[in-house]
Amino acid sequence: MDRPQVEATVLAVLAAVLKCKVDLNSSRQNTPHWDSLKHIEIIFAIEDELGVEFSEDEMSTLDSLGKIVDVALAPHAA
Amino acid sequence: MRHDLTLQGLAFRLRPIADADAPMVLELRNNSKLNRYIHATSPHLEDQLTWFSRYYERPGDYYFVVERQSSGAAEGLISVYDIDAHAACGEWGRWVLRPGSLAAVESAWLIYRCAFEQLGLERVYGRTVADNLPVVSFHDSCGITARRLLPAHFNIGGKPVDAVEHQVTRQSWPEIGLRLQKLAQLTARKLQRS
Repeated sequence: MDRPQVEATVLAVLAAVLKCKVDLNSSRQNTPHWDSLKHIEIIFAIEDELGVEFSEDEMSTLDSLGKIVDVALAPHAA
Repeated sequence: MRHDLTLQGLAFRLRPIADADAPMVLELRNNSKLNRYIHATSPHLEDQLTWFSRYYERPGDYYFVVERQSSGAAEGLISVYDIDAHAACGEWGRWVLRPGSLAAVESAWLIYRCAFEQLGLERVYGRTVADNLPVVSFHDSCGITARRLLPAHFNIGGKPVDAVEHQVTRQSWPEIGLRLQKLAQLTARKLQRS
């Protein structure tokens, strides 16, 4: 998958889980519905959709759509 | 109150707080990233120990440290308190977790289990500063539909602020508990692989 495809997948997961409008700039800071529980749902849904696996440390720090996409595209995540 | 309840979860456990935890309490409750919506805490160790000495004598108050089972590392704090034995209800709160901790879902699951399974409560409520949107959202995300606004319920920094109360009953707990348990299981599997 290239970056636009990964972005589209992550956007779709965020919109489905959060049930609110999201965009490429969405983050936990600017999206109050992105709470600790939803974060767990988002991370596992993205792992399923993209076939990647995030580490514990990454799970804690993936607090924006951009960071999720960056890490999902990193070689070690595949 | 002094108690000996320990709740073993999947990746975390709740254990009784003790005097030795006072520095950690001060560190967490005086962390400017975490304490915007909680009552002020003195930064002095002796004040925390005095608070503990009163807490140990206060009935119906169960204060826990959230710790990682694998390492014993403390990741946060949580309580159930103001227990009304006659009405079989109580409040849960004093919930503070280290930044980046993945203990939120499991610690919430465990404190509800403590309330319903260990203490035999019929009703548990949490009250959150209304402006603390992520935590209000967390309770909503648990599937709690019994919520109400409590105007000027808290006094934070000398100002009255509204609270949102989320209530879980013994009747609504199984569905909410199952949701929390499933997510705690997913998280625990991840943590055990790390």
